[in-house]
Amino acid sequence: MTPSAARARGGPAGAVASAPGGLRRRRGAVWYRSWRLYAGAAVAVAVYVYGWQVTQIRLGELWRGAYLIAPFASALASPDVFVRDNPTVRAAAPFYYGGESPPAAPAAPGPALRLSRAAGAIGDRVTATGAGFPPDRSGVLWWENQIGQRQRLAAVTTDRAGRFSATFTAPEVQGTHNLVSVEIVTGAGPLRLSPTFFVVLSRMVETVFLALMGTTMGVVFAVPCSFLGAKNLTGHIPGGRGVYALTRTVFNITRSIEALVLAIIFTVWVGLGPFAGVLALGVHSIASLGKLYSEAIESIETGPIEAIVATGASTLQVVRYGVVPQIVPQFIAFTIYRWDINVRFSTVIGFVGGGGIGFVLQQYINLLQWRQAATALWMIAIVVAALDYASAVVRERVV
Amino acid sequence: MDSAILRIEHLTKVYPDGTRALDDVSFEVARGEFLVIIGLSGSGKSTLLRCINRLIEPTGGAVAFRGRDVVAASRHELREIRREIGMVFQQFNLVRRASVLTNVLTGRLGYVPPPWALANYFPPALVDRAFGSLERVGIPDKAYARADTLSGGQQQRVGIARALMQDPALILADEPVASLDPAMSHSVLRYIEELNRTDGITVICSLHFLSLARRYGTRILALKAGRIVFDGLPAEIDERRFKDIYGEEAVEVEIS
Ligand SMILES: Nc1ncnc2c1ncn2[C@@H]1O[C@H](COP(=O)(O)OP(=O)(O)O)[C@@H](O)[C@H]1O
Ligand SMILES: [Mg+2]
Repeated sequence: MTPSAARARGGPAGAVASAPGGLRRRRGAVWYRSWRLYAGAAVAVAVYVYGWQVTQIRLGELWRGAYLIAPFASALASPDVFVRDNPTVRAAAPFYYGGESPPAAPAAPGPALRLSRAAGAIGDRVTATGAGFPPDRSGVLWWENQIGQRQRLAAVTTDRAGRFSATFTAPEVQGTHNLVSVEIVTGAGPLRLSPTFFVVLSRMVETVFLALMGTTMGVVFAVPCSFLGAKNLTGHIPGGRGVYALTRTVFNITRSIEALVLAIIFTVWVGLGPFAGVLALGVHSIASLGKLYSEAIESIETGPIEAIVATGASTLQVVRYGVVPQIVPQFIAFTIYRWDINVRFSTVIGFVGGGGIGFVLQQYINLLQWRQAATALWMIAIVVAALDYASAVVRERVV
Repeated sequence: MDSAILRIEHLTKVYPDGTRALDDVSFEVARGEFLVIIGLSGSGKSTLLRCINRLIEPTGGAVAFRGRDVVAASRHELREIRREIGMVFQQFNLVRRASVLTNVLTGRLGYVPPPWALANYFPPALVDRAFGSLERVGIPDKAYARADTLSGGQQQRVGIARALMQDPALILADEPVASLDPAMSHSVLRYIEELNRTDGITVICSLHFLSLARRYGTRILALKAGRIVFDGLPAEIDERRFKDIYGEEAVEVEIS
């Protein structure tokens, strides 16, 4: 309807026609008179009110729960990466429960630990004094039970004369032949990587390989399938349109299932572990790579192929010089892109039992081992960012 | 051996959708000619050129190149025929991502053993020759550039260098300058003319503009709806014939 026609007819029909576009707006119909505006606003309010309720948004929890997550925030600044083996000086003295008294220890030169009593019962107050230690050093007073398990009693610091004294309560333990020991740190040992670091590293390696195997599985199956999903290839063969439609439909349906859901299904099928993750990533990659490859094949220009055929080239030569240069760089670019996504994804696939670093990360979080969790998170961040960068560089080169 | 390098008899092409693109076309091309084919778009110029090297299968009629039957040729014979016929295209038809040098070398594929393609191997002598071809068209410095970084005129010169690699007896050029501006058009056509005059390569070139056809052609053949409506010297096309070919409304324009 032209503006003049709308105006000529006037009345309600003209008003309806005026609503969507400025050009057709009837004179006098200003925006705040439009009922659609109010209806739209009312719908929007209803949608967000319901959304707020259904997702249980309670902003106050962000404050109330802050103390729970605070240790994690500070752990991020001190991940469990390095440990030091510091040299210590040790001394010990026995403390027996159950009425028995320990044999008297022969006096020896050097650092010595003395207890205010050598026998007693759970709950007794005992004072430990040390002498002959290096001056102005700190250390820890330990309780060691009959089978060598130890628990911390107190932190101690030696004075200028190399003495200290600390009072503790005899703890509740099994067995009667206990030992009280002290370890005074005398210097700073060399830094070395922590056991956590090696656990996290080996899981990260597993993660990267999980992504590699999943991507490879995707490529191996997607390449042949992509030819079936390319319109320009299937158009010429009998029944080709059906093959094309079927391939593309399978791609689309498979792609629409999140890889995390696939991972859960595969853990049921092949059991917990990285293999389930590989299968989940693989199946998801087949579908998404297949679609991208098919589109790359469909975008092949026929001109250069025609030109090479015209030179008297054989089919092999035409494929090598006319087809391959047109699709291979794109295939490589799409594959690297997919590998990127898969590395990122394989870091969480462990959460549902699909192996990789996600598995240990989840454990650390559940056990509130924040410094270890921080180690895993930093590892993920650094490795993913590095691979991201590397793949961007490679992609830049080939395309 | 007779003087005709190409002999076409009763050539007909009917596309699967029923379009009669060529209708009983017959003519001969003498060695060394610069034959220009003119006609409105849709008159069958591209179809005719592609039937000569069988990029399009003719529906009927005969094509003889240097006395050899092109239509009846086996796959192997057809490759041997094609490698002696260079082709230049309106859209240049270079492999965009490949280097200029590789594009030029593909002109020689009809002569090298196909398995070499697997290793992307061309003997050094051929590489030298490719540089020679690029020198002929004035762009040896572009050898290692990616084809799609060149200007249109440069890309078409790469197309000519590729055809030159074939050592062709005949060059088919399908509206080689239709995508170029007038100055570039002359530059490109002069390179083709050079090959015709200096190397004695026969040229069949379709052109949209009569002025270009007059300037470069030694003979002009006009197509209209798949039929030959004129075959003669450039000077013989007068007002009457021009309107026959291009329609009553058409006005001849000069390409400077
Ligand atoms: N692949 C094809 N299928 C059907 N009709 C075609 C095809 N290619 C060309 N034609 C038709 O054949 C006629 C001649 O086309 P063409 O040889 O391209 O003419 P020109 O090159 O002179 O513009 C036109 O009517 C065109 O529409
Ligand atoms: Mg054409």
